[in-house]
Amino acid sequence: MVFEYCDTYTSSANFRTYIHNHLEGIARKNPHVEFVVKQRPNKEPVVRGFYINNRDKVICLKGLEVNGIEKKVELLLDSSGAKIKPLKRRIVESRNEAARVIQQTRMLAVLDTRVPGMHD
Amino acid sequence: MASFLRSTLRTAASRALHTQPAASPASTPNALELIRSQPSQYIVASVAGQKYILSPRDLLTVPRLNDVKVGDVLKLSNIHEIGSREYTVRGSPIIPLEHVNVEATVVEHTKGPMQFIVKMKRRKGYKRTVQHKQTYTRLRIGPIHIPYSSTASSS
Repeated sequence: MVFEYCDTYTSSANFRTYIHNHLEGIARKNPHVEFVVKQRPNKEPVVRGFYINNRDKVICLKGLEVNGIEKKVELLLDSSGAKIKPLKRRIVESRNEAARVIQQTRMLAVLDTRVPGMHD
Repeated sequence: MASFLRSTLRTAASRALHTQPAASPASTPNALELIRSQPSQYIVASVAGQKYILSPRDLLTVPRLNDVKVGDVLKLSNIHEIGSREYTVRGSPIIPLEHVNVEATVVEHTKGPMQFIVKMKRRKGYKRTVQHKQTYTRLRIGPIHIPYSSTASSS
């Protein structure tokens, strides 16, 4: 996760407070994540999350209080980086064939039960 | 004519082979042995109050579970049915955990896309727009463990 902030802009003031007080605690709680803090002068504060599937999520933190920033960081940490898609209908995503299905080779054997000489 | 009848009888008999019921196993551990010996199994389990048909390595999406963090492993405690291609064991109403164990790992807590819900009453000047994102938790189902029991009798 990359935190980009500006030293002088007032929109980064809350973010600077967050970095001073909360960032280290979050970093210790999530040892599997690399936290980077960068300066981005004369720009709004931004947090970027980079995920294993090569996608990244970027959230602007302008106008957020410290607990708002905490919630956005939590959102990035909880996410898997997958694209947001409608999940109401995709309840179970499975790549397995159904366990109760007759396998195809077996089905061919059932069909081919002709006895030679009986069919004219 | 006679040969035609004989051929239909033969095909009927061969089709009937696959519809004869198998002998019921003596006990639950024996039934589970039969299920374990088959190549693939499924379970019917209820998670967060809803029943789903699950198999290993599935990705299950349920409404957001707030007490759980990403990476936690949950044991499915309400398994109603376990089955395979030819055999099924149904619990009443649940199969005890000593017979079947399935775990699910929390993959992520997401939100769905933004929904714009428009409420309107015509000719009254009332129009409201509600923006809403539904929260979900996604679980990856682990392998189905049927522990070997010492009380299963050998055939």
